[in-house]
Amino acid sequence: MAKTLLLEVGIALTGIAIAGAVADRAGLSVIPAYILAGILIGPNEPSSVAGVSLTLVENREFIDVLAELGIVFLLFFLGLEFSISQLLADRKRIVKAGSVDFLVNFGLGATLGVAFGFSVIETLFIAGIVYISSSAVVTKSLTENGWIANPESGPILGTLVFEDVLIAVYLALLSAVVLGGGSMVDAVTSVGVAFGFLGVLAVVAWYGAETVERAFDVSSDELFLLRILGTTTFVAGAALAIGLSEAVAAFFVGTAFSNTDHTERIEDVVAPTRDFFAAVFFFAIGLTTDVTVLDDVVLLLASAVVVTTVGKAASGTLSGRAYGLDARRSLRVGLGLVPRGEFSLVIAALASSAGTETLRSVIPAFAVGYVLIMSVLGTVLIQHADSINAMLVSGPGGFSRE
Amino acid sequence: MTVYETEVPGVGHKFELELDGGSRLVVILHHDGKRELYLRPEENADSRKLFELPGKQARQLGSILEGAYFQPVEMDDIQVPMGESIIEWHDVPAGSTLVGRSLQAMEIRERTGVSVIAIQRGDETIDNPLPDTVVQADDILVTLGTREEQQSFSELAERTDDSGG
Repeated sequence: MAKTLLLEVGIALTGIAIAGAVADRAGLSVIPAYILAGILIGPNEPSSVAGVSLTLVENREFIDVLAELGIVFLLFFLGLEFSISQLLADRKRIVKAGSVDFLVNFGLGATLGVAFGFSVIETLFIAGIVYISSSAVVTKSLTENGWIANPESGPILGTLVFEDVLIAVYLALLSAVVLGGGSMVDAVTSVGVAFGFLGVLAVVAWYGAETVERAFDVSSDELFLLRILGTTTFVAGAALAIGLSEAVAAFFVGTAFSNTDHTERIEDVVAPTRDFFAAVFFFAIGLTTDVTVLDDVVLLLASAVVVTTVGKAASGTLSGRAYGLDARRSLRVGLGLVPRGEFSLVIAALASSAGTETLRSVIPAFAVGYVLIMSVLGTVLIQHADSINAMLVSGPGGFSRE
Repeated sequence: MTVYETEVPGVGHKFELELDGGSRLVVILHHDGKRELYLRPEENADSRKLFELPGKQARQLGSILEGAYFQPVEMDDIQVPMGESIIEWHDVPAGSTLVGRSLQAMEIRERTGVSVIAIQRGDETIDNPLPDTVVQADDILVTLGTREEQQSFSELAERTDDSGG
């Protein structure tokens, strides 16, 4: 068994590399590619093609740990790049745009959950999964389509910053409930402990910036890297050990660094490590996904795709208007926020460690299917935003006139 | 000219410069050092990407734009000091041959090799004195030159008569 572990890891990493290359060629986000690679060569369906086994990688504990680190470092970088100063400087508009985004999309997600008969907890998971946009895919699309230099990038990025705060709160709450144990008392206690721990981290992040600055002022890149990795993983692991969300802990560790002068260096030295762990995370999601479960949720999936795409387009357009943008740019804001990705999967990963059967397999499978579709759909919509705008402007009869 | 700065999470920083005529230059500074430059001709138009440069070339371009590679020089013969030059402060005593004569007339640079970069006169400092500046008693001349040149000038400043070269 041990002899083949290295080979399996090698196959997994090669698979990830090939998937990334294919996605890059196709001009699409790498996230769905990594997931599909995991689905393809994982133990679940599709397991063989014309009698030849496709199961090259079993779901191993080792890959799970790497995937866990992927979550930790994705959220660490989110915290690192989280600009509290930007949020405060533009707070009126960001709060407006962010609130509209939350109310519309989380609301639609919750409605879907209730309409399809899920429990309260399950509905909360579904709402979170369909609400949060993918900062990675959105930012990449903004850069590739040149929107980054246009006014519409303002509300788009502002909404993403607002979502950062909400996802931290959301994950903290949900983790406490899920990991904390069954009864109401347990849940409330663990929420209290969670906010206590995070409160301590937040205080360290805010007031300890100078100490952090000095503690990490080391000239060797190697030592710098090790210190960052060690600290982040340790704090995240400690959080998880006491039943809190390791993701949110990592987020707060990231914010602790965002106030120091080390941010550029961290981007330089630690980003490749994050890229590696994150890629394994997406791959591992694919490994654990049983696509046959999707049969049960096809209707939910289809409804979610349609409803939440329209939801984001609408809420984004309203946000664009709140920023004083014209109709064309406001629509871009709407379409720009459609891509879903890494955070929906982080939420799904949390679900898969939960109690009920539905949470463990149905919700994650739904999330994977949803992200696969929405990451690609979002990218395509952004690329064709102007055509869509033209179509909407000239009305339903516009097709024949074009 | 207003400069707007925003952070772009996951990418880097964005700077927008308002140009005359209402257009805007948008500069994106990526975390990995890459610089992208866009031009937006007017508010309603889309930004057009002009070019992008990797970090090192971007910094070189920046230096050129700043004038560090080529700086137009106002005066005609400037000696750029190298390595062994030092700066000295020389007292001009009352009886010195320098007193009452202009720097040009004394042909200081030609005779000794130093450049007079400033004159301290009481509380006043005359920096970059023009060649026709007249030296007064109790001035302190601040000069730049090699040790040999400074020595040569010392002797000139202390001379009280004009005999000898």
